[in-house]
Amino acid sequence: MNTLRQIRLVAARDFLQRAKSRAFLVSMVVIIGLVAAVGPLMAIEMRDAPPYEIGVVGSRPDGLETALSASAGAFDKAVELTSYSNTGEGEAAVAAGRADVLIVDGSDLVWNEEPSLQLASIITAAVQGIDRRQVIADLGLSAEEATSLLNPPPLDSRTLNEPDPEAGPKQVAAYAGSFILYISILMFGQFVMMGVMEEKSSRVVEVVLSRVRPHELLAGKVLGIGVLGLVQLILLGTASLLMVSMFDIADVDLGALSMRVLMWIVFWYLLGYSFFSVVYAAIGATVSRQEDAQSVGMLPVMLLLPGYFVSLAALENPDGTLSTIGSMVPPLSPLVMPIRASLTDVPFWEMLVSMGLVVAATYFLIRLGGRVYRGSILRIGAKVPLREAWRSAGR
Amino acid sequence: MLSLVGLHKRFGDVVALDGAGFDVAPGRIVGFLGPNGAGKTTAMRCVFGLVDPDTGSVTWNGRPVDHADRLTFGYMPEERGLYPKMKIGEQLAYFGRLSGLSRSDAAAESAAWLHQLGLADRSLSKLEELSHGNQQRVQLAASLVHRPKMAVLDEPFAGLDPLGVEAMADILRRLADSGMGVVFSSHQLDLVEDVCEDVVIIDHGRVMVSGVLETLKSRSEYLHLEVTVNGHEWKPQSAGAQFIGNARGGNRYLIDRQTDLAQLLEQAQADGTVTKFSVEPPRLSDIFRETVRR
Repeated sequence: MNTLRQIRLVAARDFLQRAKSRAFLVSMVVIIGLVAAVGPLMAIEMRDAPPYEIGVVGSRPDGLETALSASAGAFDKAVELTSYSNTGEGEAAVAAGRADVLIVDGSDLVWNEEPSLQLASIITAAVQGIDRRQVIADLGLSAEEATSLLNPPPLDSRTLNEPDPEAGPKQVAAYAGSFILYISILMFGQFVMMGVMEEKSSRVVEVVLSRVRPHELLAGKVLGIGVLGLVQLILLGTASLLMVSMFDIADVDLGALSMRVLMWIVFWYLLGYSFFSVVYAAIGATVSRQEDAQSVGMLPVMLLLPGYFVSLAALENPDGTLSTIGSMVPPLSPLVMPIRASLTDVPFWEMLVSMGLVVAATYFLIRLGGRVYRGSILRIGAKVPLREAWRSAGR
Repeated sequence: MLSLVGLHKRFGDVVALDGAGFDVAPGRIVGFLGPNGAGKTTAMRCVFGLVDPDTGSVTWNGRPVDHADRLTFGYMPEERGLYPKMKIGEQLAYFGRLSGLSRSDAAAESAAWLHQLGLADRSLSKLEELSHGNQQRVQLAASLVHRPKMAVLDEPFAGLDPLGVEAMADILRRLADSGMGVVFSSHQLDLVEDVCEDVVIIDHGRVMVSGVLETLKSRSEYLHLEVTVNGHEWKPQSAGAQFIGNARGGNRYLIDRQTDLAQLLEQAQADGTVTKFSVEPPRLSDIFRETVRR
């Protein structure tokens, strides 16, 4: 009976049993629901920033509303004015949060707690503008003189580097990507570990191994759960892309940018998952009891965390020494390289070295982890020390 | 024909198998007997490559057994276990497929086994939802779902009540009648006396005795005597008599096959009223005791 058929059968079982489990379906719906719900909310938030509510009481200078709208426009904000009949009523509105600020007699500002610097400068600019107009009118200057006084020619400015309009969105996408990648490798790597442990603790493994060789069982399990992870990643990615399509930022093709990040994440998920899942399978095979499972439970997280931290550093400084080295050396590289690649143009040779090293390390781990797996999978009972597992499988 | 030939296996300082070997012919039921720790499980694991013997080999029809051959065997490990959260119908079909059945054959065999075990309506139940006894039945079905040519069952009678033992024995006899070779291990000799045709007795990793049970009995140097003499304990005077236990008011002895039975009965009658005096071939447990003590 050929090996591929056995691997395919094992993979199909692991994929389907997990995919059909209620826990997995619920977590899937929740994750995608969150993405789908957060997207539109953020889009609405960004499109329609709420106007400043300004209360006015007492005397109101001519043209106040126009002046306020004009100076708020510089900050992409709108204002809405409400008149109150006396100061007490206006203050009540501010205290209740119905107004952001109260202007008394066109000169005093009343805040609830912390004054908003932006709103204060909007109002100050508007009121001062009105005052200046009054002064200019009193001085009897000509219209031309008045204009040059009120609108002095702007200062010349130049930039040394062309700003990258994509920098901000890229960083957000890469951050989301690094988090999703970390969660995916951890979650599905742990599924592999739990799957191996469950087979051992339920004793079914001996029934299975009378039909399937250990390396076929290991490969099938890693494959089946890995494909499930890929499906979840792609569904999640599609939901995120749909969400992103609701945003509209000038000069930035958000769809293309997110797609690029997603491709890197998916590609490196495959390499990273392969690398870590073999370690997790070997760890899972050494224990068969719940108490022992807890003692190895933190290992998966600890193995992944260094890479995740370096990937956060890479978000800030993708071309730094730490990021560059981290993006090439396993076990850091699967988490760091996709972030770097999303943010900056990684030299081709660095990419090749990174991929080559992780593939070589994975091959090495399959040999090593496979041997530990083989040496411990049938030893029910106490936790099997790694050294013994290694020796008892050696021939 | 499945043959285990000169198997040696050492785990650290423990010698599990020390040259053990025996054959299982098609259509025969072989009882593989021995005290705990004698090497039964290790020998059975060797058949499936779960343990690699240090020396010795397992052959199938004269050739070293390979992975493809093993898929035509059925194995029930001593440590019972299946997937607790998998539906039993799916589960049996899965094991059928792993043993090489096509998708449709596996589904059909799974349904047929569940029907035979009286669990046809539980096909969609998870294993963990079944009673302990039903889980045992599904376990047996999982090892036999692919209609193997050879069944290797490690302690199949352990944990069964008398009715369960009877049902299990029936299944094994039916399978053997259809041409399947069956080897099962046990340390409960009285339970399996009526089930096995051939016996292999193993101790300390070595096969002490093997052969057709009836032949072994008729070849034994002993006879099994049960005698009840009213009033008091009675022990045969002949030198070879070994006391082996009490049974409902009588005493049980192994006596030399050559003993003059008429003279023995006279001696007993001289001591009181003899209400029971039965001489039979030795039982399986007698042969076992005789063998393992040696």
